[in-house]
Amino acid sequence: MLTILLNSAGEAPADILIFFGRIHPLVVHLPIGFLLLAVLVEVVAKRPKFQPLGNFTHYLWALGSLSALVAVVLGYFLSLSGDYSENTLFWHKWVGVSVFVFSLGCYYISKKQLKLPFYGKSLLIGLVVFAVFYTGHLGGNLTHGSTYLLEYAPNVVRNLAGMPDKAVPRKKVTVLDSADVYLDLISPIMDSRCVSCHNKDKKKGDLDLTTFSSLMAGGESGEILIPGDLNSSDLYRRITLPESHDDFMPSEGKPPLSEEEVTLIGWWISAQAPAEGYFTALNPDQEMQDLVEKYLGLDKNKLLNQQVEAPNPNVVDSLTNLGFILNPLMIDNHFLEANFSLSEHEFTDKASETLLLLKDQIIWLNLSNSGIEDGHLQKIGQLENIIKLNLSKNEISDEGLTYLSNLTNLESLNLYKTSISVGLLEVIPKLTNLKRLYISETMADSTVVNQLQQHKDLRIEFD
Amino acid sequence: MSKYHNFMRKPLSRREMLSICKGGFGSLAFMSLFGVSTISCNRSKYDALGSGSDILLGPHYLPKAKNVVFLYMDGGVSQVDSFDPKPRLAKENGQDPRKKFKVDATQFDNVGKILKSPWEFKQYGECGMPVSELFPHIANCVDDIALIRSMTSQFPEHTNANYFLHTGSGLQGRPSMGSWMTYGLGSENKNIPGYVVLDGGLIPPGGLDNFKNGFLPASYQASILRAGPQPVANIIPKEQIPNLQEQKLDFIKELDEKQLNAIGEADAIESAISNYELAYKMQSSIPELTEFKEETEATKKLYGFDSDDPHTRGYAAQCLLARRLVERGVRFIELTCPKVSADRWDQHGDLKDGHEKNAHAVDQPIAGLLKDLKSRGMLEETLVVWTGEFGRTPFAQGLNGRDHNPSAFSMWMAGAGIKGGTIFGKTDEYGYRVIENEVTIHDMHATIMHLMGIDHERLTFRFGGRDMRLTDVHGHVIKDILA
Repeated sequence: MLTILLNSAGEAPADILIFFGRIHPLVVHLPIGFLLLAVLVEVVAKRPKFQPLGNFTHYLWALGSLSALVAVVLGYFLSLSGDYSENTLFWHKWVGVSVFVFSLGCYYISKKQLKLPFYGKSLLIGLVVFAVFYTGHLGGNLTHGSTYLLEYAPNVVRNLAGMPDKAVPRKKVTVLDSADVYLDLISPIMDSRCVSCHNKDKKKGDLDLTTFSSLMAGGESGEILIPGDLNSSDLYRRITLPESHDDFMPSEGKPPLSEEEVTLIGWWISAQAPAEGYFTALNPDQEMQDLVEKYLGLDKNKLLNQQVEAPNPNVVDSLTNLGFILNPLMIDNHFLEANFSLSEHEFTDKASETLLLLKDQIIWLNLSNSGIEDGHLQKIGQLENIIKLNLSKNEISDEGLTYLSNLTNLESLNLYKTSISVGLLEVIPKLTNLKRLYISETMADSTVVNQLQQHKDLRIEFD
Repeated sequence: MSKYHNFMRKPLSRREMLSICKGGFGSLAFMSLFGVSTISCNRSKYDALGSGSDILLGPHYLPKAKNVVFLYMDGGVSQVDSFDPKPRLAKENGQDPRKKFKVDATQFDNVGKILKSPWEFKQYGECGMPVSELFPHIANCVDDIALIRSMTSQFPEHTNANYFLHTGSGLQGRPSMGSWMTYGLGSENKNIPGYVVLDGGLIPPGGLDNFKNGFLPASYQASILRAGPQPVANIIPKEQIPNLQEQKLDFIKELDEKQLNAIGEADAIESAISNYELAYKMQSSIPELTEFKEETEATKKLYGFDSDDPHTRGYAAQCLLARRLVERGVRFIELTCPKVSADRWDQHGDLKDGHEKNAHAVDQPIAGLLKDLKSRGMLEETLVVWTGEFGRTPFAQGLNGRDHNPSAFSMWMAGAGIKGGTIFGKTDEYGYRVIENEVTIHDMHATIMHLMGIDHERLTFRFGGRDMRLTDVHGHVIKDILA
């Protein structure tokens, strides 16, 4: 072991040392346990009932100091890997050594049953306790980062420790135009994929990716990012290497960045890696905009991200009297489904007019088998928030269909058993969000369907 | 205490308190005080239309499914003969299983040799899911199906396993999953109950308690529709004089309400009143429902109405009825198995004959249901669930049967919010135990509820001093099978 140690001096440490070093976090809990038990026994042995225990404390001190020694040696090996903040490491190391020294002292005193002047033994025991806790705390900081312990502490406690208030999470982006390029796109990627190893305290490769400035400062091999130059940016190189490559990041089998995230970072670097500013202000092309919308989850109905007002109770009343069933669709918002398919009433113009009064709230509309005619659809076509529209089993034709061209939120359109046909070719391309279309038992024939099928993402049921 | 102690005044529950207050000025103030939405203030309005439920809660979040069709494969389909092919069984056919793996105690303690599947498997669909010859029609729908091969149950015996599957508890008396769904979401149709069981001829072991409301209000129990010309007993009024029935019902209602006023809220009486009203409406809604006049010959043929097998025809009618119930806004529909000559799927002997007869009865109708729902655009709002209460052993019971196996079985779901063509979970090389991604019955319940827009941890009912859930303290939504 010693020869390995000596041979490796000055160069990168031998793997075998790091291997043993990584046992440190396991072994380090043994002295904590033994020593605290020894202290406990020392304390309770003062009471007559437990006095006999006092005869055995030197065994506990021996175990404690011996395991502390092993922990110190293994800890030293681990420190050779150099992945840790130096200042914290210095104190962790030397307070750790002091744990060994003090506990060895305790062993000696207990074994020889020495009487020290002026509470000497108690002071020494106190030192052991302090050293165990303090070096343990520093060790925790090294592994988890110094903010770990108080991350979720109440602000009062955080302020006492000299920390700022808890960061308020950035508000979720609801419109693409409000997305900040660094704060909403790049920084969250770094946070989720990189900063567990590259932070202020655990600076693997001397690199800290928590803030824009520390990112630009680079790591031990210099700058990792050259604005506008993808090929010279080491950051980009490392996330695009094959996963098996030694330089690939994230290393050690941590989940790699998604394709979207890689594209996004690449685009950002090419766009001169600005520290702030709106994403859309950087003139991204359509493909990039789509990608970011998808990445931020904005492609999934922006509609549902907004809070709508509670529906006017009078309108709810009149709709129910007209024969609608109104179903709330979620607890924390007022979106509604309006269902007329079970109604015994006749569908009237008044019904569609009244529906318009809830045009913000109604996102699902079921008018199956409701005696709907082309004329009714003029009003229905103004319900712009509709995501799902069921018009099956009604006498409607291409003429009525054209009224639906503005329903750009529509994802599902059911025209089963209606009289629509080639009019689909004109209307369907305008429904940009449409994903499912049901046109079995209509006048549409297979040539129409074939033409419609060229629109990507649209699933058509037709037989 | 007298035998009428059930009808004595009880302290008000929170729910009763709210429902008594609703409608009054006080309730409006109360509701706005606590931020209850206007919609919930108007729940009584919905009730006027969509009765059956007294309080319509609505989903927690935007649902994928509005209705569930639960195809219950009574007795336990053999997984290694249906959806979970195991080539090793063929290689080791006839060998002693005890020399190969640890064999658990079985129901009949008659462990035979390792038994290969009598049926060949082929891959189907774009996803290439393997399905055995037992289900040639369902096999053509695999791209809409998410298959779970890693189901487990806690009970190796029918009755407890049935209660567990239906109520989330192996003991009798808990509310059935259909009751929970209708309790949580209400029913849209005022003329048909929200939870309907279509009795194919076999009520599963454990009896009607599989479909009961338990501690939930009695209106949430299942209504059983039998196959045949008279699906509900006495559905045709017997009174000769017009109006006589209405007068009788009015009188009963008057008496009930008097009693109710005298003793305060009592679920038994309230539910009786609403059940009488519903039963009256069902006199017209049920015959309309069970007549298939509007259905085209093509549709009937799709389901298998023209089959030579009377059981196929019977189950086809049940499946078509299920679709018609979905169209009418019925929340939860369960189909029990037809009574083929070989008993349910419980083949302790003569596996080949029994499974073939059972499969033949249900295969085409189920596939017909899936296709019909799909072309009508209803499959995107309807969740179809196919499962038994447990699986069967990969080794024989006696010479040619299979015994119960709760350690592994296959189920599938299709439709609303389901990622079609998915296979989830894995069993060992014999199909005897789950080795990857175990899915419990609780997980299945949680997933069904999730698709209905219900958070299974938040739909509770206070009983016995505790907020009870369908999933008790268990259950995880199986995200991998969701679209």
